[in-house]
Amino acid sequence: MLGYVSWRDVLKKLTLAVTMQRPVSSLPLSPGMKLKLVGAGFQSTADLILLKPLQLSKETGLSQQEALEVLQAVRKDGGGGEGSTSLTALELLQKEEETRSIITFSSQLDAALGGGLPVGKTTEICGAPGVGKTQLCLQLAVDVQVPQCFGGVGGQVIYIDTEGSFLLQRVIDVATAAVRHCSLLVEDDEQRAAMMTFTMETILSNIFLVRCHDYVELLAELHLLPDFLSDHPRTRLLVIDSVAFPFRRFDDLSQRTRLLQGLAQQLVAMATRHQVAVVITNQMTTRLQGNQSQLVPALGEGWGHAPTIRLLLQWAGSRRLASIFKSPGNVDATVQYRITSDGFRDADQSEQPQRKRPRTQTDQSASSQPDRRLLRCLSDV
Amino acid sequence: MNWNQLELNPRIAATARRALKSVREVLCVSGPDLQRLTGLSRSDVQQLLAAAAAACRRHPPVPALLLHGGQCRRFESGLRLSVGCPILDRLLRGGLPVGGVTELAGESGAGKTQLALQLCLSVQYPQQHGGLDSGAVYICTEDSFPIRRLQQLIREQSSLRLDVPPSLINRLQFSDHVYIEHAADLDSLQVCLSQRVPLLLARGLVRLLVVDSVAALFRSEFLTDDWLERNKQLLTLSSTLHHLSQEFTTPVLCINQVTHTHLPPSSGLSPALGLAWANQVMVRLMMQRLQGTITRGNQSSSLRRLEVVFAPHLARDGQDAAVWREGVRGTEVSEHITELLL
Repeated sequence: MLGYVSWRDVLKKLTLAVTMQRPVSSLPLSPGMKLKLVGAGFQSTADLILLKPLQLSKETGLSQQEALEVLQAVRKDGGGGEGSTSLTALELLQKEEETRSIITFSSQLDAALGGGLPVGKTTEICGAPGVGKTQLCLQLAVDVQVPQCFGGVGGQVIYIDTEGSFLLQRVIDVATAAVRHCSLLVEDDEQRAAMMTFTMETILSNIFLVRCHDYVELLAELHLLPDFLSDHPRTRLLVIDSVAFPFRRFDDLSQRTRLLQGLAQQLVAMATRHQVAVVITNQMTTRLQGNQSQLVPALGEGWGHAPTIRLLLQWAGSRRLASIFKSPGNVDATVQYRITSDGFRDADQSEQPQRKRPRTQTDQSASSQPDRRLLRCLSDV
Repeated sequence: MNWNQLELNPRIAATARRALKSVREVLCVSGPDLQRLTGLSRSDVQQLLAAAAAACRRHPPVPALLLHGGQCRRFESGLRLSVGCPILDRLLRGGLPVGGVTELAGESGAGKTQLALQLCLSVQYPQQHGGLDSGAVYICTEDSFPIRRLQQLIREQSSLRLDVPPSLINRLQFSDHVYIEHAADLDSLQVCLSQRVPLLLARGLVRLLVVDSVAALFRSEFLTDDWLERNKQLLTLSSTLHHLSQEFTTPVLCINQVTHTHLPPSSGLSPALGLAWANQVMVRLMMQRLQGTITRGNQSSSLRRLEVVFAPHLARDGQDAAVWREGVRGTEVSEHITELLL
């Protein structure tokens, strides 16, 4: 117990530097304005935060309009306007524990990911064509809507389709299967009530679809997305299927790297600010090393740093495997999965008889069921 | 897109216009760079970015439920182009998706061209009979177009399409609505796809594009060592096809050859052109010739199999089929058994 307490104390003292003061020179302002600020002796944002525009304008010789702009930039950046400037590591941990993850309907993958796809982080799914990237995206678009009393997050989703592979027929399959599954789990009145608004139609009405035909349309959409997210605060998932497609045909590679970096920053900002899980898919490409060829995710080395979690889907003979090969919170793991007519599922379910067994039986046999979490949450209730 | 169309203070638009080539370029430059390039203030640049983004996006996010009702013309609404055989349509859940590139790969003699010709006819039926009420454009890059076989298929339509009233079949002028193009090299293919085909599509004369085959040109024109150039050309071609398909909500069928490889999932035979091409394909079908023949009346055909390798909406599955005088048909289970006994 003592060890536990001291661990918490350490976290409390670890005030994160994320939102601390930063040098004036790093603010997104024009060089002329920065020069005037520094010239007048303002070194960091902390020097500016309490000033009024008129004062600042007098001190620095900036026009009042410019001074206002500087202060807006400072407040927006530090979040100082809302009073809370920094978080301790403990608060951050508690915050993370409060936000639920999005289940994948594959209990093995959920376990490997530590409970599902984390909200507030970016996850990249890479894989060869036909291995199931789009299937997992569609499954997540439905799963994010599972009501909270069933262990879901009950959110909405924005789905950016760049390849044209969002086929309604398939979404209806996956949605219908998810509704059927949850209806089998209903035990109390709360869940019965939740099922009234968890139907195929409501699932479709909570998926907001955008088609982007090229990279400029994608960039435009991402620029406008923060407004959409503010208007739809229930959005918990942003899918881009795929990032690679509009960016594969590019002659100027340094321009591409720059655009992708900007895009990655926007995604991270949206994920944390609006508490959404960001899921992006990427294609695979062949890299030649000496005379050996190797399959690697597309879009280059630099892009690999953008997502928090990278998930690789691949074939091993006729089996499909999902490997986590970059994740700060989980060890590398590989699990097997299947794509069934119902969607993304665990691999070993086919050996089991169909789920005819009474649903109260939530013992260890449930661990091989596709959505152990749903069942486990039942036993908690 | 025009600067004047932006919903923006004219002063900002005029300043931006002097520094940048196009509205689209605004989105490709970061905020601080825009400030530097244009000399505008931070809030002006924010306004500029917001206006450019609003002008470049085609539509706000749409709830998928609206697609379900078919209320959005620009979106996939579940419309399919029937193959012309109910058994094969069942495998494909209705037929080819109308927006997206479908690939049909197989060895020579597997029946790829047969199926493509059949689609050129079925597209001409009205929608209630699985068609799209329009013609087809058929681009040949390998052999000359099999015009005699097409004539035969047209003559036999009434025995293939028992579901359609004969009067309707007689009324349709099938051969007037199949536009045939020959492209002997990549340049002429690109010219055809960027000039003549968009014209046909825009006038509504055709709503099916067949390229038979994509592999031939790439296999003959490039040596093994200039694969970088080859990949580039391949991406150019595939994005042109993709663009046509999306812009005109038109099914695109690309016929492809096969090569021997050891790559999963299908070790042995796999479609040509590698991963760079496969990444651009939405639906991949394969056709192969099986051992054995199947007879019906005085006709006989070797047994074929149409397989779904991948598709966002289809399970991996296959269906035995045979090529008859009237076209390609899936074989019923009972037929299949008699064939095995032979």
